[in-house]
Amino acid sequence: MSVLSLAGASVSLGGRVIWRDASFSVARGTITAVLGPNGSGKSTLLNVILGLIELSEGELEVFGEPAHRGNRRVGFMAQTRSADATTTLTGRDYVGLGFDGPRFGWGRDRSKGEVVARALALTGTTSFADRPMHSLSGGQRQRVALAHASVFKPDLLLLDEPLAALDLAAQAEIVDLINLIRDTTGAAIVVVAHDLNPLAPIVDRVLWIARRQVRSGTVEEVVNEQVLSDLYGHPVEIVVTARGRRVIVGLEEEFAHPHPHGHDHSHEVGHQHFADFYDEENR
Amino acid sequence: MNLAQLLTTSFVEHAYYAVTAVALAAGAMGFFVVLRRQAFAAHAIGHVGFAGAAGAVWLGLSPIVGLLVFCLGAGLLIGLGGASLGESDTVVGVTLTASLGLGVLFISLYSGYANATYSILFGQILGVSWGEVGLVATLSFAVLLAVSLTYRPLLFASVDAQSAAARGLSLRATSLMFLSLLAVTTVVAIQIVGVLLVFSLLVAPAAAAQVLTSRPLHALALSMGVALWSAWLGLFLGVWIGGPVSFWITALASSAYLVARLVDSTRTRQVRRVSA
Repeated sequence: MSVLSLAGASVSLGGRVIWRDASFSVARGTITAVLGPNGSGKSTLLNVILGLIELSEGELEVFGEPAHRGNRRVGFMAQTRSADATTTLTGRDYVGLGFDGPRFGWGRDRSKGEVVARALALTGTTSFADRPMHSLSGGQRQRVALAHASVFKPDLLLLDEPLAALDLAAQAEIVDLINLIRDTTGAAIVVVAHDLNPLAPIVDRVLWIARRQVRSGTVEEVVNEQVLSDLYGHPVEIVVTARGRRVIVGLEEEFAHPHPHGHDHSHEVGHQHFADFYDEENR
Repeated sequence: MNLAQLLTTSFVEHAYYAVTAVALAAGAMGFFVVLRRQAFAAHAIGHVGFAGAAGAVWLGLSPIVGLLVFCLGAGLLIGLGGASLGESDTVVGVTLTASLGLGVLFISLYSGYANATYSILFGQILGVSWGEVGLVATLSFAVLLAVSLTYRPLLFASVDAQSAAARGLSLRATSLMFLSLLAVTTVVAIQIVGVLLVFSLLVAPAAAAQVLTSRPLHALALSMGVALWSAWLGLFLGVWIGGPVSFWITALASSAYLVARLVDSTRTRQVRRVSA
């Protein structure tokens, strides 16, 4: 049985179609990268899976049931968190909120300390868990956030841009950690990213959202000239570098709009200026 | 009358009970005000309260009734309007201005305004009756009870709204709950320090606490402690030396923040020296 499946799924927000007719499924222990230009509805997809946004058409099943809010088997890591800038919150406190944050009342679960410590150990964050979040490096914060999201060892882990705003070394570390979480917990992981290359070594499947359409398959099936040209409605070229990185040529307009940034005439899927552009838009 | 006698007179005793209850509630709520960066909302709610209090006085009612109605209304309005429009500051600002104007109108309609206006704006703790102390204490402890029951979800929604929503918390309900509690806290704090100085109990102690500790529960407790210290000592100094109690409380709470910043900067410098 698949962890997650969508069939003929469409989403409209405020009368505007975000994407339509998406059909795909996610299997246990796999990593799926969700790619596409900014504003194409990648985060919307995560919100749909979390049960925060309803489909306007089609079917969605999470563990064979309709999606519902607050499902403990689904872990989620948000892209922007004010926890990162909060002076009075340590990593351990933040991970603790993943454990009992939604609970009202005075009760205290005795297993909390142990469960939190295990999540910290899994993500290699124990040594800086008692420092305030705002004093950690970007990579350290993302590791703590991964501990927060996976505190209940979820069977489905949704990560919204975990690599955004990180330098290349930190990106590689987080990619390794995501892989480690998959291997040790057997979770299915869905990662929203604007950049395939850093994730390429661990990704099993790709979901590409553009122009209100969704294409899914293996990296070879989706990130090829025919599929992307068809998806974007104009010819694109893909150059594979000696190290296996894919550079996509012909999407400058699509990615640069609405804030043109520099005058690069190629968009490498792992290009640093693109990450800069992304940060600028999200600050 | 010597100091000991002065401190045991009934009006000082009333004030003592009232400031204790209010300081605890304001210190606790202040923690969330600073954490959620909603100081402006707290400020606005207080000013809206001014219109309510002035209106109540004009109608011959107790100011606290007008305060409760207007502050709660403002809290709900800010919660609903700010969340749906996504432009919190504007909604807060317009609410604030409209109600200040209304307050001016009410005051002009009420003939014996000077005294009443003064106590609404700057607090008048040394005149509270037993009945008012009872009401203030009840409201304060209701706020404390609510904070203790909702502490975790409120903290979660404040530091990671998206994850909190994903885990099933309603952000709108959380925000409305917070603003209602803030409104009640503002009402009781106004009794002591007045509309204009409400920040001294609602923001300064929490701001000091958040500079000094990185654990949320410690910061919450420390904020309540600083508020209590400022309120008690402020009351004592007001009785002993003279001058408005609200002045002393404001001066003490602000100094606490200043001292916290100084302590923090020397601490940071030491850490830097050690690591260098």
